[in-house]
Parts: sequence; C-alpha cells; structure tokens
Amino acid sequence: MANKIEMLANTREKAGKGSSRAVRRTGNIPAVIYGGKETPVMITIEEKFLVKELHKGTLFTLLCDLKTEKDSHLVLARDVQLDPVTDRPVHVDFLRVTERTKIKVQVPVNFINQEASEGLSQGGMLNIISHEVELLCRATKIPESVDVDLTGCDLGDSVPFSKLQLPEGAVPSIEDDTFTIATIVAPSALKSEEDEEAEAAEGEEASAEGESEEAKSE
Amino acid sequence: MLSPKKTKYRKAHKGRIHGKAQAGTTLNFGAFGLKAQSPNRITSRQIEAARRAITRHMKRQGRLWIRIFPDVPVSKKPLEVRQGKGKGSPEFWVCRVKPGRIMFELDGVSREIAEAAFELASAKLPLETKFIARIGE
Repeated sequence: MANKIEMLANTREKAGKGSSRAVRRTGNIPAVIYGGKETPVMITIEEKFLVKELHKGTLFTLLCDLKTEKDSHLVLARDVQLDPVTDRPVHVDFLRVTERTKIKVQVPVNFINQEASEGLSQGGMLNIISHEVELLCRATKIPESVDVDLTGCDLGDSVPFSKLQLPEGAVPSIEDDTFTIATIVAPSALKSEEDEEAEAAEGEEASAEGESEEAKSE
Repeated sequence: MLSPKKTKYRKAHKGRIHGKAQAGTTLNFGAFGLKAQSPNRITSRQIEAARRAITRHMKRQGRLWIRIFPDVPVSKKPLEVRQGKGKGSPEFWVCRVKPGRIMFELDGVSREIAEAAFELASAKLPLETKFIARIGE
C-alpha cells in the first residue's frame, strides 16, 4: 500500500432516479458509503476527479480518505457503474473499512520479463485469461498489482495461479491454485491467414473440378 | 462467414432494435475493444470484412475475439416477383447490435495498431463505433 486517495464529497438527502439524475446534471456522481455496522451515507463526488482516479487504475486497490461536510470516512471503492454507451460513471459504491478489516479484492496481474520468454520471442502471444486475481488481505495492505514472471515460458505453456508472486499478508481467495492465469499461444492472425490460404486452395480445386466436368460434358 | 449450424425455425420476424446493450458492454478478453454507439443489424459478410481488415492490419501479431454472432435469418423475395404468395426465402444472416455492445476485442498489440485496425474495421460496419481500452492500459 503506497498511499491514500484524498477525496471530497457532499452528502445528499434524496435517493432515487430523479434526484440522482439531477446530481449528474450538475457534474457530480451519486455514491454511497456502506459497511462497518453503521448506517449507509448517501454522497456525491465530483465527476472529473472520479474519472481521473478511475483511469489511473488504482481506484479499487487504494484506500480513500473520504471527507464530507461533517466527518471523514476511511473507505475502499468496491464498484463503479458505468453507462454502457458513454462509459461515464453512473454510481459508485464505497465500503467503510478499518485497519483490521480483511476483504476480498480484485488485484490486477502484471506480467514481467516478457522478453525472457521463449514463446513470446518466437512470435507467440500472451493470452491473458484472468487480468485480475481475487486476494484476501487486510484493507491497509492491498497490493497495487501482483507480478508474474514469464522467464522460460515456451509456446503452448500455461501460467498457473501458483506462479504468482504474492505479497506478504495476501492469500488467494480460491483454493484451487492450478487455475490458469494466462497461456502463450500462436497469434490468431497467423491461424486466420492459414485458414484463408486453405480456403483459397479449396476454392481453386473446386473451380478446377468444375471446369473439367464442363469440358467432359461438352 | 459466420452462421448458425442449425436453427429451430427457418425464418424470423424483422424485429426492431430498442434500448441499450445490457450484456457484453465490458472488455472480457482483450485489452482493446470496438464498441457500438448506435443500433443496427450487422450481416455476417460485414463481420467477416471487419475481421479480415483487423487481422491483415495486425500482421501476424495479437489475438482477436468476435463477440457478436449473426443468428437472425433475413429473407428476401426474388427479383421481379409480385407481392404476396408468402414470405421469401432466407438469404443472409444478421446480428442485431444495440449501442454499448463490444463487437470486437484485441490483445497482444500496441494501442496504435489496435486503434488503426479498429478504424479500418469500423469502415466496414453500418454503425457508429468507439475505440475503448482496458483501464490502466
């Protein structure tokens, strides 16, 4: 855990579709703080600030110090709903946490030493099956990313969950450590070109057969 | 070209495309994607043309996922035939695409290559599109 995100928020009184839309029209995003055996608090956050933090890619793994007019909350962003067409944030969920809280969190996977992989240097492609892994850790010790070393990986090899270099205090939330994170495969462009060549060859054969049959009938 | 292996019924209603996409709106496989911004029907020929444009631009790199499938048969009457006498015969397959739907995904290529490839693909499609990338890419 490197640092915290400092975020300013305003509390809002009304819930529901109409008031949420009114909030969005003012350049803010409706959000909620819940958890910690306290009553949920409805808030609004500035859209510009949220979008900036969201695109840094660390919003879900860094704790936020959320300051409202009255008090301050230590929270972790759990979900950001996006509009399917515009990709603008629609609503944000914040979970209230303490230093003791243990949570399941999705941590991005970072693939290192790609140049040292035999398969990738031969023109293979890293097929990432899981861009994120779920870890169980303390809220104050969430890793920003988890590294996977690809040294020596050949074409056709798969990278299992057990190859992840997990930081101290983080435990995988799934028991099955044979779960595949990524595979090294031949690029689909190569395959599709081969297919096209095969199709073209078949087409030529078919046309040649057709011509010979026509010649026979004549 | 993409088409179903077997279908329950040979012919389908024309239908209308209403609303926004509810599924297939986030990147699931690759780092980059092409998202529909308007509703339309995409034929299997258009999907194939877009696929070819993308794979040819990538030049033996990367991987492509097609996340739409043409499963709606479109029928047509033959030329110079009077109206009536029943529905025409199925001619081609289309996919109804709603705005927000991710149609193609790419991985294993740089952002510049992906953007250029999707621009070429977009020119083959009958709807407005938008390039999207995974957060943090």
